[in-house]
Amino acid sequence: MLSFLRRHREPLLVCLILAHALGMFLGSSRRVREPNLVDRIALALTAPVQRAVVATVDGTVSAWQQYVSLRSVRRDNGQLQAENAKLRADVVGLAEARAENERLRRLVHYDESNPGPKAVARVLGINPDPNRLTLRIDRGEGDGVRRGQAVVTADGVVGQVLRATASAADVLVVFDPNCRLGGRVQRTRARVGISGGGDDQALKLEYLLRTEDLEEGDLVVTSGTDGVYPPGLVVGRVTGVQRQTSGMFLNAGILPAVNFTKVEEVVVLAPQPGAAAFPTRTESQGRR
Amino acid sequence: MRLALTLVLTLLFLALESVAVKYMGLGVARIDVTVAIVAFLSLRAGLLEGAVASYAVGYLLDLMTGRPTGLYTLLAVITFLLGRIAASLVDVRSGRSFALFAMAADVTHGLLAWGLGSVSSKQMALSGLSGLPVEVLLTGLAALLLYPLLKRFGLGAEKRDPGLLPP
Repeated sequence: MLSFLRRHREPLLVCLILAHALGMFLGSSRRVREPNLVDRIALALTAPVQRAVVATVDGTVSAWQQYVSLRSVRRDNGQLQAENAKLRADVVGLAEARAENERLRRLVHYDESNPGPKAVARVLGINPDPNRLTLRIDRGEGDGVRRGQAVVTADGVVGQVLRATASAADVLVVFDPNCRLGGRVQRTRARVGISGGGDDQALKLEYLLRTEDLEEGDLVVTSGTDGVYPPGLVVGRVTGVQRQTSGMFLNAGILPAVNFTKVEEVVVLAPQPGAAAFPTRTESQGRR
Repeated sequence: MRLALTLVLTLLFLALESVAVKYMGLGVARIDVTVAIVAFLSLRAGLLEGAVASYAVGYLLDLMTGRPTGLYTLLAVITFLLGRIAASLVDVRSGRSFALFAMAADVTHGLLAWGLGSVSSKQMALSGLSGLPVEVLLTGLAALLLYPLLKRFGLGAEKRDPGLLPP
């Protein structure tokens, strides 16, 4: 018997294993088996390994997915930046168009309230010569612009045409010391002389008697007596009123209504009936 | 020692398989890596060593199913024994032939699982064998990939019964 067992030890043990597996299966097929001690030990030993493998693979896959996502995000970021730059350029363009539209609308409004022949011109640049405060506009003799014509915006007086060529013209702005015009204090209707101060801060208010009523902030408009500007155009508001104890006239300045640093479109008015050609200070003094 | 190595490898493969199933969505057709290991054991391991290792592999698979019924333990031992018989009839020396061998083992394993499972569970009987062809193909592919690894680890190193001529 022992020799049989010894001789067939392996097949017998295998049969035993098979029988045990079969018994376990048949035993479990009737009812669900609760984990026994061996199961628990095996689970306790295998669970960490399984967890480590799963965590490693999950981590690798997650890292890969994040890398892929990052690449995608970078690509999307580039596209969005390009789109953003384009949109910003569009916004700037639209803002510019809106501002231009606003200015033109005001000019149209001016045109409606001041009927008569006129030409709308765009400011091309500012004369770099500090001795001559002039603007260059894109309308010239070909458009009917002539020397001495008044140039205004919807805000008020800009100056007068100093020189005109076929397609452009130079405008002497009212700041220039060679420029002068007739004005009137709107509130009191007192007539005054206005001349350029040589800088862009203020105009000079001249020839107003010391006894005249004048207050800070009074609106000064053109009087129409200079033969260049039609009456009623806004020049600016009175500032820096100084009443001297002696002398005939008081000293005051006029803060111009037009912001010359922002002028982009202007209106060139038709010559006034019986207008003299471009009265500069020199000429007017000579005539005087 | 080889038994421990077999169990560790089985555990690693099962864990990898569970992750692969999770990511690849192979909910119906699973890869029977345990069958590939048992097939390899039936080719290379001795009778007792292979039977014990197969039992352990099946037991491990049973444990990982969550509800140990002993089905996979029994199937692993039966597959191993049938594989031993088949191994005496065929010559498996390359990865491709091993893949075919493992696929045949998987077909047997699948049919037995279905048959024995039907005895114990009506749900298993209803699920049928629709997923078996894909499962067998995937197992064959896995066996092809695992063959060099199993050989390298010397799993179930050559141990023939005394008296038999070496192949």
